Amino acid sequence: MTDILLFRDIDEPGLATIDVYERRGGYQALRTALKTDPAELIETLKGSGLRGRGGAGFPMGLKASFIPQGDMQKYVVVNADESEPGTFKDRELMQKNPHQLIEGVIIAAYAVGATKSFIYIRGEYEEQADILDAAVQEAYAKGYLGENVAGSGVELSLHVQRGAGAYICGEETGLLDSLEGRRGNPRLKPPFPANAGLFQGPTLINNVETLSALPHIVELGAETYSAIGVANSSGTKLISISGNVQRPGNYEIELGMSSRDIIYGLAGGPPEGREVKFWFPGGSSSPVLTADDLDVGYDFDSIAKAGSMLGSGAIIVVDDSQSVVDVCLKLAHFYAHESCGKCTPCREGTNWTEKMLGRVKDGTATPMDLDIMASVQQRIIGNCLCVLGDAMAMPVSSMIAKFRGEFEAHIEAARAAADRAAVGVAG
Amino acid sequence: MPRPVAQMVTFTLNGQEVTAPENAILADAALEHGNVEIPVFCYEPKIGGPVGACRMCLVEIEGIPKLQAGCSVPVKDGMVVHTDTPRVREAQEAVLEFILVNHPLDCPVCDKGGECPLQDKSFGWGDGISRFVEPKRHFEKPLALSPLIAIDRERCILCYRCVRFSQEVSEDHQLVLQERGAHAFVATFDGHPYVAPFSGNIIELCPVGALTSQPYRFRARPWDIEQSGSICTLCPAQCNVSFTVRDDRVLRVLQRDHEGVDDGWLCDKGRFAYQAIHVDERITQPLLRDGGELRPVTWELALETAAAALGRGRGRTAALAGGAATNEEGWLLQGLLRDSLDSADIDSRAGGTLPLDLHQALGAPALQASVPDLEFAHAVLVLGTEPVDDAPVLDLRLRKGVRRHGLQLFTATSRPSALDERAVLAVRYAPGAEAAFVAALDAALTGADVAGPAAAAGADADAVRALADGLRAAGEDIVVLWGERVCSGAAGADAARGLLNVAARLGLEGRDGAGLLGVPDGANGRGLREVGVLPNAAPGLAAPDTDGRDAAGIAAALAAGELTGVYLLRTDPLVDLADTPLWERALEKATTVIAHASFLTPGIAEHATVVFPAESHAEKEGTVVHPDGRLQRLRPAIGRQGETRPEWQVLAELRRALGNDERLLTCSMVTARMLESIPFYAGLTLDTIGADGTRWTERPQGAAAPAGAAAPFDLPAPAPAASPNGRLRLGTFRSIWASPEVGASPALKFLHPRQRVELAPGDAERLGVRHGSPVTVACDGRSVTGIAHVRASAPEGSVFLETAIAADSAAELDGPLVEVRPA
Ligand SMILES: Cc1cc2nc3c(=O)[nH]c(=O)nc-3n(C[C@H](O)[C@H](O)[C@H](O)COP(=O)(O)O)c2cc1C
Ligand code: SF4
Ligand code: SF4
Ligand code: SF4
Ligand code: FES
Repeated sequence: MTDILLFRDIDEPGLATIDVYERRGGYQALRTALKTDPAELIETLKGSGLRGRGGAGFPMGLKASFIPQGDMQKYVVVNADESEPGTFKDRELMQKNPHQLIEGVIIAAYAVGATKSFIYIRGEYEEQADILDAAVQEAYAKGYLGENVAGSGVELSLHVQRGAGAYICGEETGLLDSLEGRRGNPRLKPPFPANAGLFQGPTLINNVETLSALPHIVELGAETYSAIGVANSSGTKLISISGNVQRPGNYEIELGMSSRDIIYGLAGGPPEGREVKFWFPGGSSSPVLTADDLDVGYDFDSIAKAGSMLGSGAIIVVDDSQSVVDVCLKLAHFYAHESCGKCTPCREGTNWTEKMLGRVKDGTATPMDLDIMASVQQRIIGNCLCVLGDAMAMPVSSMIAKFRGEFEAHIEAARAAADRAAVGVAG
Repeated sequence: MPRPVAQMVTFTLNGQEVTAPENAILADAALEHGNVEIPVFCYEPKIGGPVGACRMCLVEIEGIPKLQAGCSVPVKDGMVVHTDTPRVREAQEAVLEFILVNHPLDCPVCDKGGECPLQDKSFGWGDGISRFVEPKRHFEKPLALSPLIAIDRERCILCYRCVRFSQEVSEDHQLVLQERGAHAFVATFDGHPYVAPFSGNIIELCPVGALTSQPYRFRARPWDIEQSGSICTLCPAQCNVSFTVRDDRVLRVLQRDHEGVDDGWLCDKGRFAYQAIHVDERITQPLLRDGGELRPVTWELALETAAAALGRGRGRTAALAGGAATNEEGWLLQGLLRDSLDSADIDSRAGGTLPLDLHQALGAPALQASVPDLEFAHAVLVLGTEPVDDAPVLDLRLRKGVRRHGLQLFTATSRPSALDERAVLAVRYAPGAEAAFVAALDAALTGADVAGPAAAAGADADAVRALADGLRAAGEDIVVLWGERVCSGAAGADAARGLLNVAARLGLEGRDGAGLLGVPDGANGRGLREVGVLPNAAPGLAAPDTDGRDAAGIAAALAAGELTGVYLLRTDPLVDLADTPLWERALEKATTVIAHASFLTPGIAEHATVVFPAESHAEKEGTVVHPDGRLQRLRPAIGRQGETRPEWQVLAELRRALGNDERLLTCSMVTARMLESIPFYAGLTLDTIGADGTRWTERPQGAAAPAGAAAPFDLPAPAPAASPNGRLRLGTFRSIWASPEVGASPALKFLHPRQRVELAPGDAERLGVRHGSPVTVACDGRSVTGIAHVRASAPEGSVFLETAIAADSAAELDGPLVEVRPA
């Protein structure tokens, strides 16, 4: 058994071309899948235990099974908007192995009976979009896409749609609105995309990594695949690791691996002489963990138990040379900037938090502002239309709770510095 | 799609059992059935389903960990809901605190103050303290979103209501949100002013003072004003309105939501043309022509002069009533004419009358569709009418049906319709070829030869067949919304028979949710017919002792000197009626022209001998009949301006002066007499009509209505539409803005139309006419000028010109063919 699946051939030269991909065994899983009854295929996906890699960790097979039967127009949409700070795994997957994704899309579409599919890719990924476009062309030319997919009589179109650069277009319903040509704003759920998604048709929407895993599940079978990893977190996971580590990058791990082994073993830990101060285990929207949590197993349940979430699988390490105030302000700025503005708590709460943090930073805040800020986070969490608001409030909350002393000290120091400067000017 | 029937379920609300329709929205059910208010901002069911944006409505539902948006949750049996737990209170306080973070709270200078949902909610659910000390966001303010609406972006709470109205109700797609997060703001897509027929509704939808009415701004505070409910009679849609009154002046018009009439919307004409009530050019005292000039005189002199002139003209006087006249006025007018002046020459229809049995059949209760039927029918055929011009608010109702209930819309018109884009199928025919078109449709429905009548109609036979098939396939509940122009003119009776045939073929008679809905030219066209303002119908659509002349006949007889006088009850033939040249001669020749008028439009200014000031719709008392048979009651909101007297009283006094000594002391007495005289209104009183009106067609007494002619009829082969041969067929239309009230309202004046000549791109090119350039349209030595409007959807071979405008009206031209050239 191997714990390298998605990245198996990742450094194979020319893997992005269909010839190399096929030579390495590509599109074989698709042929197997097409010989399987769709219902059985969905059972396989369920049995694999694969959970969504986009952030929410929802069981993929279960989601596929929600797509209603019937001959209405159904869709598969790939969420390639990858905009969560710290997350860059989908980029490498699309850049180096686009056909793995396309094969996954075709398998998913066949399983749920979709005949139209889209890859919605973030606007900044221009190079990756070009690569995908070329790969899609190749897949059409080879008959894996089109009116008769690999000779099976099944039809599927695939279109690569470029976004215009908004984080919120990664939220699945905001993505669908954007894909339909509207302003990308989250929709009220229910109805969920599985029932009324793109153009109100049943829609399966999954992350790039989630779908890229499908050929491997088909190849290995549910049982073998689900044996990888730990309970409730089967399979392998791509980790984007960044921040204060010596070897940042993407790594494929077997879920359940110790976080310390990832941060120190794979990524080399912080630079010489530095300590891990805190780390985001699942992208910038996950509550921070500290050095005390380094031995937590890297899987959905263990990270949740430690008080955070696995999210997109992006680890951001912050070492003791960094100020928590700076990290917090940068983070709040990002979410305030990306809030779509549709719902009140997020629109106003992110903006208010950023302004308060600005005052913390320049020393015009008081410790009472930290209380207000903490209360504002609590007033955001759980009250928004989508979870972008929570995505700021949860990490900010955790930073204030875990590093309150440092916030207070910073306020004190910044005020003193400002006072000194003022006196200096006056004198 | 027919209305769903809801089952009742029981749920628990703050410990109390509440019974409500299953799947009703929790916020609605809590208020209506449980008397608990869940505060909302973005939720407004009139606009559409919930969006869950503002988060004001969070509630706790047992079994669901997160708080839920009460505006978005459907009620289910056994659901346990809490709206008053500490957790919910905290969330409500939280959302209000967030909303106020960027709200200027400039209540002292905000027009919404005192009637502001944000004030009310802050008071009811906020915690009264503000922890926000950062600078608030700033925008330039106020800005003109349009000449009618001011926008203050600082006050906007981004509830999306206005944007959704524009996108999903009026579908003009002009308003959007720009930018993101706390920088988001409402704007038009292209930065141009938001000018659209229904724009003013967003003022009422806005839950804060972000959108305010330019004409109303700073005119009053809520404690200075009173609201007074009545009916807008500026068009046949007869929307229910509420006049805002201060110091006996109308300052504003608001909707008075009536599901059976207007669905809570108004058009901008209805909303803003109240300004014409208080302008200097309005006639507010009696005028008498003296030495060629109209001069103010006393009421006594005016009434005496009018009575004397009418007395002299016994047997040689005719009368015309305009659409805004009430039933009472129409009833008195026909009595005056028939009983006191021995004349039968009376009309209220612009396009000539129909045989009485056809009037009866078209209005028969069993065949009348209601306004809500437009929304819930399987299919609606819009035939020969442009709702947005002819009865604007119905346009919104049809869009709602399509958007929300899967209504299949079909349009069949000669001029392209704004509704075409929402229609399954849009069919064109030549202007004036309604009878032929209806015959073709009838043939298609019976499987007879379509090609002949379709060719005569200038319509595509396949399209007519597709229309027939589409209607049949859509389902049984079909409504035909037809315009009065369909059954007008020389072939009007044939068209009426064809229309009745179509109704019979589709099995519309006696079917709930299906039927005909005729849009008259005048606001109270239906009422005026029913009270006997037709040359061939007495009150109750009964046969009169003698038939008289219709409008065109009256014009000819006046011009020929056979008639010497004409009584113009709120109509100016030079503006409202066809064939201006003939009417000019007719009025020139008439020795007596008595008019009720508010403005000195050309016919009144040049030809009236006596002018009585007309009441505005806000001053009027009486009843009108909605096109769907609903009797509605007008109540005066303000005193009559200047020396204006009730128009019913003027008619009653003239009646007395001419020998009828029945004493009619109040308008309610007239209403009672009028209602008594009409068998199918039997038993109705002002009280039973009430604030919501009553559809007489639904009452058992309605059965007393004369049945009229029975379909099917054999239709004659229709005469072919004129073939253009290089010229163009003349079609006409009346814009929503073509009314003297619009022209007289300072805020609306900019919309008052000038002649707009609509033609197809191909024709325009051939004739060397450019979009936006002046053109001359000529026929038989007469011509009008206008601005060319090249419309991609206009059919080749036809040109469409406006009527009901004071200058350059299409009524100047006879047709059917005209020449168009650059001016
Ligand atoms: C604000 C926000 C941004 C998101 N951005 C992404 C994204 O860039 N890529 C992604 O795959 N999922 C993103 N998601 C998660 C998606 O909404 C959705 O859960 C995911 O596409 C489902 O795919 P999966 O089940 O395969 O993970 C985002 C969610 C939120 C609330
Ligand atoms: S939480 Fe933020 S991003 Fe999500 S809908 Fe609300 S305002 Fe938009
Ligand atoms: S202008 Fe008014 S209606 Fe429009 S979004 Fe703002 S608050 Fe809502
Ligand atoms: S649609 Fe007609 S009745 Fe309604 S407000 Fe407009 S003018 Fe008045
Ligand atoms: S009223 Fe429910 S979210 Fe706005």
